[in-house]
Amino acid sequence: MSIEVRNVTKRFGDFVALEDVSVSLPTGQLTALLGPSGGGKSTLLRIIAGLDTADEGTVTIEGTEATNLPARKRNVGFVFQHYAVFKHMTVAKNVAFGLEIRKKPKDEVAARVDELLRLVHLQQFSHRLPSQLSGGQRQRMALARALAVEPKVLLLDEPFGALDAKVRKELREWLRRLHDEVHVTTVFVTHDQEEAMEVSDEIVVINEGRVEQIGSPDDLYDKPANDFVMGFLGEVTRVNGEAVRPHDVDISTAPVLAGAAQGTISRVLRVGFEVRVTVLTDGGEEVTVQLTKAHANALGLHEDQTVWVSPNPGAVPAMSRAV
Amino acid sequence: MASQTVEATRTRDPHPRSTARGPHEDSPAVKWVMRVLVVAYLFFLVAWPTSLVAKNTFANGFQGISDALSDPDVVHALKLSAIVAVAAVLINLVFGVGMALLLVRFDFPGKRVLNALIDVPLSVSPVVVGLALVLVYNGRYGWFGPWLEDQGLQVVFAKPGMIMATAFVALPLVIREVVPVLEDMGDDQEQAARSLGANAWQTFWRITLPGIKWAIVYGVVLCLARSLGEFGAVKVVAGNVGGESTTAPMLVQQKYQNFQQETAYSVSFMLAFAAVLCLIVVALLRPKEGDKK
Repeated sequence: MSIEVRNVTKRFGDFVALEDVSVSLPTGQLTALLGPSGGGKSTLLRIIAGLDTADEGTVTIEGTEATNLPARKRNVGFVFQHYAVFKHMTVAKNVAFGLEIRKKPKDEVAARVDELLRLVHLQQFSHRLPSQLSGGQRQRMALARALAVEPKVLLLDEPFGALDAKVRKELREWLRRLHDEVHVTTVFVTHDQEEAMEVSDEIVVINEGRVEQIGSPDDLYDKPANDFVMGFLGEVTRVNGEAVRPHDVDISTAPVLAGAAQGTISRVLRVGFEVRVTVLTDGGEEVTVQLTKAHANALGLHEDQTVWVSPNPGAVPAMSRAV
Repeated sequence: MASQTVEATRTRDPHPRSTARGPHEDSPAVKWVMRVLVVAYLFFLVAWPTSLVAKNTFANGFQGISDALSDPDVVHALKLSAIVAVAAVLINLVFGVGMALLLVRFDFPGKRVLNALIDVPLSVSPVVVGLALVLVYNGRYGWFGPWLEDQGLQVVFAKPGMIMATAFVALPLVIREVVPVLEDMGDDQEQAARSLGANAWQTFWRITLPGIKWAIVYGVVLCLARSLGEFGAVKVVAGNVGGESTTAPMLVQQKYQNFQQETAYSVSFMLAFAAVLCLIVVALLRPKEGDKK
């Protein structure tokens, strides 16, 4: 295990940010700390980095007891949501910072900076100031800067949170590829479940200062431990009292399925390639069904139509009738 | 430093002032009235009186200045003023930057009280400052004075007291310039530096200081201008020891009262010129920084 967090508690005044949190993060993997804003995930990351201190509990990094080690001695790379670029230094100087602090020989620094700027595709910008870069470029520079010191772990605090949707998508794909190249143990904080599912090997779901579940993206999606995880990872609707994903609901225009609930379509909404149908069942449930445009057209769905809905037998509703 | 902050915000904001623009701002009549008001205000309060000093100084060409500079009293006063001002500025530079860091980056009990205390020198009359220092450091009946004098250090009626009085009066200038810039800068960059292995001193020297350097330059210039011109506090502390402890502003008053108006004007002009020179130097240095950003 690369990072061991044991029984960490952190309070800010009366507010409990983390309550008895224990997590083991494996070496070489890309782990996401996922949860709603204010849930404590950034605090956990900052405690791992040494930028905040835990009130109770211990942190071990690569076998080194790090609980009382200052940030500068932990050898972790940290990437901030708002980049935290050194405004008065050129891109190359930013990346070289950690190496110059470590008094590495000049030619070695230059070679390493060059290599890193190539890695993040910024080699032609090495003499620019950060203010002349776009947000995505700044964040890539910040990443190169963090990687320059060959950290044992790389920590990213909502790294793409300040970027627009398109750049965010590009950068997270790029981050995944980068991780496959560099293989440094990486932990990143996000409140975007799509981002977490797409990029990470493992997800730690954190809510209200507690770990709700730890597992692979598939595990979490298919076998959520509780209602919160299920609801946070994707949309949830209820059919006959069972919580299911809207795309796991079968809809038919005739009562062919046993146990299907009868109802009336109250709304048909098309968003791009998908169609969302809201069905009011006779049992008083409001069921959301998600299907492709082709499928909806084939069925000829329209408002005020009588339909039958039931959970897809192939989909395992792990959270059956919980609470 | 407010202007620098505004510039920084503007570059980040793609539509500066688009919401702040009032409907009346476009009316040419209002614009002209405002302009005339501002120009008249500045003219009657600042430009005209100052220009009269210059006019009187150069009534006989450079004769006045060269006469003044050949007077040993004037030379001594100017030298003393320079020494006192530079010493006070150095003290305020070190403590000002330290205090600003303390106020912005650290939380401690009594922070708000300290913050309020820093403005005391601006609100209290300099004469009161001088008197207070005399009470504490006076060689005969002050709190510390007799002890210090036993150690061979005379504070009041000597240079150390004059430097203290000047430093006291100009104390908030560096702090008040640096604090908003530090706040605006945030501590993200400092945290990044720490996580990259920099210790406190390296972080300050390589990250914090470059970020606040223009605030410091501006604070120092204001501090220098204020220190050169300080009269009340220094006069009380300097006492009546003849020409030995007379600074340039005090000399202006003496000469003026002794009907040596020409010398008074010349020294006044030199003081004003030094202050303006400081501001010009800053104005010249600054745009370069703007281009680089």
